[in-house]
Amino acid sequence: MALSEDRLRAVLAWVVIVLVGGPVAGAVLLGVAHGDSPCILCWAERTSMVLIALCGLFVIRYGPRPRYLGVTVLLGVWGVYMSLRHSALHLARDVGQGFSAAIFGVHTYVWALVIHVTVLAVIGALLLLLRQIAPAEGVHAPSRAGRFAMGLFIVVVAANALQAFASTGPPPFFGQGDPVRLSLNPRHWVWSFEELEPYYVSLRGSWTIPTPDPGAVDPDPGHGPLAGLPSIAVSGWERIGVPLNGALSGVARDSATGRFLAVTDHYGVYLLDSTLARVLHHVVLDPGFSVDLTPLIGAAFVGGDTLAVLSTNKSYALLTPVPHADDRLEWRHFLETDGQVSEVGLGRFQTVRAHQMYVLSLAFDPAAQELITVSVPNPRHHQLVVSRFARRDLTLSSEFGPQLAPDLAPAGPSRTPAEYVVTGAVVADGRLYAISAAYSTLLVVDLKDRKLQAAYAVPGLARPVGLAARGAQLLVAQADGRIAVLARPTP
Amino acid sequence: MPARTREQTIVLTMEFLNFLIILWAAWLVWRRPERERLAFRLLVISCLLMAFLFFIGSHGSLIPGVNL
Repeated sequence: MALSEDRLRAVLAWVVIVLVGGPVAGAVLLGVAHGDSPCILCWAERTSMVLIALCGLFVIRYGPRPRYLGVTVLLGVWGVYMSLRHSALHLARDVGQGFSAAIFGVHTYVWALVIHVTVLAVIGALLLLLRQIAPAEGVHAPSRAGRFAMGLFIVVVAANALQAFASTGPPPFFGQGDPVRLSLNPRHWVWSFEELEPYYVSLRGSWTIPTPDPGAVDPDPGHGPLAGLPSIAVSGWERIGVPLNGALSGVARDSATGRFLAVTDHYGVYLLDSTLARVLHHVVLDPGFSVDLTPLIGAAFVGGDTLAVLSTNKSYALLTPVPHADDRLEWRHFLETDGQVSEVGLGRFQTVRAHQMYVLSLAFDPAAQELITVSVPNPRHHQLVVSRFARRDLTLSSEFGPQLAPDLAPAGPSRTPAEYVVTGAVVADGRLYAISAAYSTLLVVDLKDRKLQAAYAVPGLARPVGLAARGAQLLVAQADGRIAVLARPTP
Repeated sequence: MPARTREQTIVLTMEFLNFLIILWAAWLVWRRPERERLAFRLLVISCLLMAFLFFIGSHGSLIPGVNL
């Protein structure tokens, strides 16, 4: 089956009638009948549909000239972009949540996507069937359907113009991000510039979150956000006595066996003996399959023989030593393995208050059976959030921003504990001990009262990346593999 | 009515005006078909205006706010 040009114009007349008489006219009717009022993005999507219909009128009148087809395809692509950008604001919300009313269970921004994709599909189908694109120059008299399409277009667009006048106002006002319902009473009309303030162009907006760089922070405890902190001296140094496949990026110690778990910035995971001189097991995780693992930054023993490692994007892997791992099964998990480690889980922690914030630490609270992360600040989110995840289902169980104990004082009116960059954490005696690479400070958080109970300057540290407890000692692991031994304070 | 800033004065554009431009173009196509060149220019202007208004509305970020 092939379309002649006359047949194409006839088909397009009906396409215009359906497009204008359906979603575009329907949107106005929804406004009049139910008060539905478009936001500024909805207006652009509706305008795009109107312009696509206008392109159809051009073809009906002048034939399928390439520039009409080009503009129509561009409008279709632009409409898909707009509706995707718009829908992204709401698609990931909880079940049933959306913006404004739904039509047949689907919100208008999703309908805009459906319509623009359909437009592109119809254009493709019509071009596929069109016998030739060599239209005769000149003006064509529209058919009856063509005249009806033009008349309908004028009426519906005029109605849209009236709605736009009431809803957005005359120049220079324009649409609003959060419109009120449509009213024919001028007292309720809202004409505003709100979308201009503040006006800036950004590629990713609030998703522009730089990856954390603990090496770039100020290590001087004297510059920290809390004033007059007592110091804890390093009482001794130890070091990891085996070669690792990269810089050390996290460490944990099993209080039951004395074994250590170390991770590196090259996805190496090492189970070490209590002397740090012998590798019991090791693997190198495959960071690309299937959960995307950014650099590993934390490790924890989470009960039994299960080992947990965490990457900066809060994605985790659970591993366990086994006498003989299945080579075929584990090949997909590890780039290197000693053949005695099995992956038992891979996933991502979901946070609420720490959303859009990276982490650089992982701890395990054996009493509560919870894994704990501490967020690090970024230019868009400046807060310190302790997130707790139930070991049972690895789901968020609580989050809090620790309040300052009365005897801790900020060093200035704008200074807050959110300036600390926690790179290592461990739970001992019901307290969360956290070491901050920024200002080389040890923080003590009471997990019951959710308070920042105490803080101590620890001079002499260089790039701390992990924290472990050994009896009355704290072990601060550095990126260079050295481990500083401190007396564990019990405030 | 809030005082208009210099940037706001430059942006003398909005949805109502855009629909008037579209109406003008459609009227030319229907009743003055010999003015095709003007009608097409109005179509292009309206497209640009629509895109610009969308940019204003999405000034927070041009790319959808999701992981890429």
